[in-house]
Amino acid sequence: MSAFVKSVCLAQKLCAANPALARQAVRSMAGWNKDYKPAPFPKTEKEREAAAKKYYLLPEEYKPYADDGLGYGDYPKVGGGLGVENKDSYYPWDYPEHKRNLHEPISADHDLYSEDRYSQAEQPRYSTSYYVWCFVGVMSGCLALYYWLEDKKMYRPVAAKQYPAAGVKHYTFEK
Amino acid sequence: MGNAVNHYLRPDVTPGPDVVPSFDPMLGFESRKERVMIATQEEMESVKLPLEDRDYCAHKLIAYQACRSDKFPFVYQCAHEKHAYLTCEYEDYVLRMKEFERERRLLERQKRLNKAA
Repeated sequence: MSAFVKSVCLAQKLCAANPALARQAVRSMAGWNKDYKPAPFPKTEKEREAAAKKYYLLPEEYKPYADDGLGYGDYPKVGGGLGVENKDSYYPWDYPEHKRNLHEPISADHDLYSEDRYSQAEQPRYSTSYYVWCFVGVMSGCLALYYWLEDKKMYRPVAAKQYPAAGVKHYTFEK
Repeated sequence: MGNAVNHYLRPDVTPGPDVVPSFDPMLGFESRKERVMIATQEEMESVKLPLEDRDYCAHKLIAYQACRSDKFPFVYQCAHEKHAYLTCEYEDYVLRMKEFERERRLLERQKRLNKAA
């Protein structure tokens, strides 16, 4: 505790000596993660409109997450569905690398929908059951072959190796 | 590997893999030279020879390994011992092939005799 008090005293003395230092310290605090934190859930209609304007949305488009303790304050529910991969690559986006326009709000789960994540942007060629049956067919075909060939082994035409043992006689083919 | 196909198509006259000869070894022979084991059990145990190497060529393998440990690192000087051991193993394999063929022919003969009887 004494170290903390001494540090505060030192900071006060330094600020008194040079007021520019205090200004620089306050400037450096800008852009902290606390500044990205959404505001509390809007309760009145006026607060809702203010929040919609803050996120550059029309009031009828603005739908915040449910205020059940697991939501994101006044952050709107946007994006989702098919990922960024599904967006038009040829549209003149303001940020083509993210396929995003200026002030366009992004999903709260943006890291799940960005282009470096898996998404199924196109309809598959065949139905899912067709794929399942293909898989089952190939696997059961392989298994059937495996069990059918289990007692049909390839082998070299040689007799068992002869090891000397008590009471066992082995012979060459010489006289 | 026609023997594998034959073993499936004609299992009665084709011996299987690693067959142990079932006929009398002297059948059709007047006399037959017996194979002699030269390395003794004590020798093989003292050099800790793996069980699968304790065959009729074990004495040559022991000589080769002894030469290697004597001449190391100039192990090329053991080329003669190595060649002798590998030739012995090759001849052992040829003998196994002959035993297989003998078993196969005797099976066919047995079938022929059974049919005639």
